[in-house]
Amino acid sequence: MDSLNIQQQEEQVFEKLKQFITEVLGEDIADELDITPESIFTKDLEMDSIEIVALAEKVKQEYGDRMDFNEWLSGMDMEQLINLSIGDIVNLIVNAHS
Amino acid sequence: MPIVEINNKKVHILELNKEASETIVMIHGMFTNSSLFYFNIAPELAKKYHVLLYDLRSHGLSEKIDQGFDLKSLSSDLIHLLNFYNLSQVDLVGYSFGGLITLYSAIHYPERIKKIAIIESPITDKDGDTEKVIEKYGNEFLEHYMQNYSVSTKIVPNKRQLEKNKKLFDYLMHESSMPDDLIKDRYFSSKENMNSVNQESLLLYGMQSDCLPDGKILKNYIPNVTFFEGEGDHNIPIQNPEWIKKKLADFFNV
Repeated sequence: MDSLNIQQQEEQVFEKLKQFITEVLGEDIADELDITPESIFTKDLEMDSIEIVALAEKVKQEYGDRMDFNEWLSGMDMEQLINLSIGDIVNLIVNAHS
Repeated sequence: MPIVEINNKKVHILELNKEASETIVMIHGMFTNSSLFYFNIAPELAKKYHVLLYDLRSHGLSEKIDQGFDLKSLSSDLIHLLNFYNLSQVDLVGYSFGGLITLYSAIHYPERIKKIAIIESPITDKDGDTEKVIEKYGNEFLEHYMQNYSVSTKIVPNKRQLEKNKKLFDYLMHESSMPDDLIKDRYFSSKENMNSVNQESLLLYGMQSDCLPDGKILKNYIPNVTFFEGEGDHNIPIQNPEWIKKKLADFFNV
């Protein structure tokens, strides 16, 4: 991944997160959503807290060797968690890899 | 998303800091799930401990089961979980109904449970009319609960979340043995039972909580207990996680 430029890395991570979201929500629900980097998990994707936990566990499994995802999440207050977007996680992962 | 087969049921488990030598198991309340602790409170305890979170039967991502919501069955699920992970002794943190499971386990499996922390647990049958309370557990109760939850936590559930919550509530209250099971345990919070809790115990309650009087009763019944009131109501783990984190960290020497 180091050899890719930032934009390519972001696109790659975004596609992976999109795949995870589809696995968590199920294809029927995910197909009806417009999933973009700006999508906010709670508002735009209507994910509930246990679905976000399931997504977080998948992110940890995929990228956890380079960053402490739980520690990052634990630094957020409730408002930040509610407003978390896909792009926020993409940036975290790409920055951890660069 | 680890789902493991425990006590013949599929249980959703979350683990933090697997390498630590001592374990804290955290038990959520009725109609909620392990996410209550996952984002904020569990990572604090995971600085020192192996933290194990699980979804109770029919809650969160665990298997839907229409019976066994009495404290004996739910405590048995916990002990099977400890056996599955080869944990001979653990500390427990329980929120609301999870606190009742914590107390039951502490009394009936004293060799497996070291210290216990109870957050906002009600006492059973406090008004002497459990059946009447359960009769009120209709959709009106759910709507009231969700409205109060939204106001006090500032989390407004979206349409899909509301539908999911309503489905879970209807299933548990109308299609499962939960109402009967709750009645079965109506005398659990007796002075005699609570007097037999031998573990060092922590009680955390919200100053504006309806459960605060219950906490004060438990404070008088449980022998080796420390009691604190913090800013918030029954939803204090969401409203005031920093206070909960600090009190738990002090109690467990994190």
